Amino acid sequence: MADQPVESSPSCESSSPCQHSVSCHPLEPRRGFLAQVGAIVIGGLVGLVPFVAGTLCFLDPILRKRDSGTGTDGFQRAANLAELPEDGTPERFTLRADVTDAWTIYRNRVLGSVYLRKIGTQVIAFNDTCTHLGCKVDYQASNKRFFCPCHQSAFNLDGEKQNQTPPRNMDVLEVEVRGEEVFVKYQNFFTARPDKKAI
Amino acid sequence: MKALLNWLDSRTGYKNLLHEALNEPIPGGARWRYITGSMLTFCFVVQAITGLFLWSGYAPSTQTAWESVYYIQNEMFYGWLLRGIHHFAAQAMMVVLGLHFLQVVWDGAYRAPREVNFWLGLVLMQIVIGLSLTGYLLPWDQKGYYATKVATNIAGATPLIGQQVQAIAQGGSAYGHHTLTRFFALHAGLLPALLVGFLALHIYVFRRHGITVHKSAEGKPVGKFWPTQVLYDAVGCLVVLAAVLILTWTRGAELSAPADPGEDFPARPEWYFLFLFRFLEFEAISRLGVAFGAIIVPGIVMTLIFLMPFIGKSKFGHQLNRWSLVVLLVGVAALTALTIYEDNHNESHQAKLKFAERDAHRIVELARREGIPQNGARELLVRDPYSQGPRLFARHCSSCHRFDGHDGTGQHILKAVLDAEGKPVKGAHGNLSEEEPATAADLKDFGSREWVLRVLTDYDKTFAPMKNAGEKGQRFLDGEMAGWCRENKAVLSDPTNAGSVTALVEFLAAQSGRADHGTFDEKLVAAGKDIFEEGALKSGTLSSGCVDCHAMKAVGETESLGDGAGSGYPTLTGYAGSDWLKRFLRTPGHADFYGDNNVMLAFDTLRLSDDELDLLVKWMTGDYYHTQKK
Repeated sequence: MADQPVESSPSCESSSPCQHSVSCHPLEPRRGFLAQVGAIVIGGLVGLVPFVAGTLCFLDPILRKRDSGTGTDGFQRAANLAELPEDGTPERFTLRADVTDAWTIYRNRVLGSVYLRKIGTQVIAFNDTCTHLGCKVDYQASNKRFFCPCHQSAFNLDGEKQNQTPPRNMDVLEVEVRGEEVFVKYQNFFTARPDKKAI
Repeated sequence: MKALLNWLDSRTGYKNLLHEALNEPIPGGARWRYITGSMLTFCFVVQAITGLFLWSGYAPSTQTAWESVYYIQNEMFYGWLLRGIHHFAAQAMMVVLGLHFLQVVWDGAYRAPREVNFWLGLVLMQIVIGLSLTGYLLPWDQKGYYATKVATNIAGATPLIGQQVQAIAQGGSAYGHHTLTRFFALHAGLLPALLVGFLALHIYVFRRHGITVHKSAEGKPVGKFWPTQVLYDAVGCLVVLAAVLILTWTRGAELSAPADPGEDFPARPEWYFLFLFRFLEFEAISRLGVAFGAIIVPGIVMTLIFLMPFIGKSKFGHQLNRWSLVVLLVGVAALTALTIYEDNHNESHQAKLKFAERDAHRIVELARREGIPQNGARELLVRDPYSQGPRLFARHCSSCHRFDGHDGTGQHILKAVLDAEGKPVKGAHGNLSEEEPATAADLKDFGSREWVLRVLTDYDKTFAPMKNAGEKGQRFLDGEMAGWCRENKAVLSDPTNAGSVTALVEFLAAQSGRADHGTFDEKLVAAGKDIFEEGALKSGTLSSGCVDCHAMKAVGETESLGDGAGSGYPTLTGYAGSDWLKRFLRTPGHADFYGDNNVMLAFDTLRLSDDELDLLVKWMTGDYYHTQKK
């Protein structure tokens, strides 16, 4: 029979003499070298390909060029102009937008809230997050000021800080009045630092 | 550098390990036939690497599994490549596994003293099969869902413990979140861990006994694993990888529509299980029950394979093993080929596959355009007229109408024909059947310019199926409109009147207000309106104007062109448009439509809900998102 298994007798090490009936010839040096290079190159390549494919996909957050988004300019409708008090009293409004998280789109989700003030024909918008440590700032009608319940940060109606607790004034947001509607470009900023840096 | 390596070696002994690994003696020297084991290990390593990366993007739940795989496949950076490699390397692994197994048996490597290693190999084979079975479900697409259902139902057919086994595997009495979490835990946790453990044992025992040397290699010098055999192994792995990459590039990993328990799918198992699928279909086998064909027979075969080392002790036994395996593999190949052949020649199956592919393309298009709602991507298909229209047509309309000769989804409406002895006769459609004649018009491009032209110039042919609809149907073929068309056939087909006919068609088609027919030529529409009222063509006159019978308020106008001839003469205000069609479907027997002559079933809200009506009509009037052609 052509294929009887034969027990191998292991040992063909350069240090010890061959125990086989026929002495083992080391490979021709040049062929041996080519085989070594080939084995390393091809072996490395086949191992690398799946790893590279995986790494590329894993680095998706920094490698993929994202679409410019929903096609909007980042402004969300906040209120009707008529809803704002004429005397400049701040009023809080909630902003909503469609939010995409990986594959899911959440329709009409709350982004956050802002204070709007109407002064003459102009509208000012403040992010209602305290610049100190991120609590929500309340408007106190009795004192005509913004006041944070967490650590007593206080701001005047123009958003300027009134004590040393907050590191900076309230964050002003970009506003556009389009016809009878007020649009705000909602952004959050890092807290607890003197400069206003968008997250 | 050397000092550092020496230091490392003195602490770890890695040089010895490396030496041990690379200087494995190979009696007779390196050979190509020894590479299958390394190729299998390579496949597993590829699966482990790509699997871990896929894991980082996968979310196992019924509302996120398909969605996350869709996202990997279509949105993430080179996600298609990653998933493609994982998908096709799994299949490559089955092929190499078959080769490895065949080689082991053929060369007698299962015999003493390697029996235990042979059994370890069989365990590994079961683990790999388990991995492919569990992995198939994870994308939670129609294909994986229905194919895996078959597998768990087979498990459920196991004598005595079947139901319990099925419930445990599914994580409940039906498929749901826990089916996915369990399959995922098996696929990415337990089974790979077992595989690593058994693979380590397999390799350890293999090294202990060494390679099974071919007789022809006896007496030849002893070679070493490094470098020539390593090179051969690496080339083998390169071939596998190349095949995987080519398949990824040319075909891509499939992702069918999201799993939908309410939606039929032409389910087939993955190709390497097709033989079992076909085996179960034999009448003689299916009569003996699922458990017999799917559990007992494969169980007996596996037991015989397990016993191979004992059977193979004698020369005769070894030959028996060899040839039994060859017969088994030939049988498997034959059954696989038979299934593929039959499926390719099964018109209905092919139509279903095509329709399923249509869904698969459509859902990606919709997900890209609209984003996936919180409840999952299936919702996008469920409320998409392009996807649901044909299904509603098939369910509600195709018992009388046809759509381009089929039922809307590509299926032909067939009936069995029996011969004198009551046996079915083989027909043009193979499956012992012939086309069931329609009893109403074929509604492909209903309301389009082509449709209007067909009705005017070839009324008899357009409504020919009505002759099958009994006495009332015949009225449509003997009626006034049919008569009008015959009377005016000569005038309408006169080449000098081609322009006039085009104008009339343009006018009528414009009534629908459909957006998908392109812009309507205003001049033509105006000219067509005159013909509609007066009946005067460029050469000759119609026997009567359309307004003499049909009431119509032309689109964009407030004055009626005519009040019609009374009940049963269809009003053409907004003809074939959304509102007209909806009203017609609800009340075809209304005086504004066919009146007493009506043969069509009225689709009231009990037969067709408002949502369904909306989807059907939107599909028929082309009111849905159309694929943007680049």
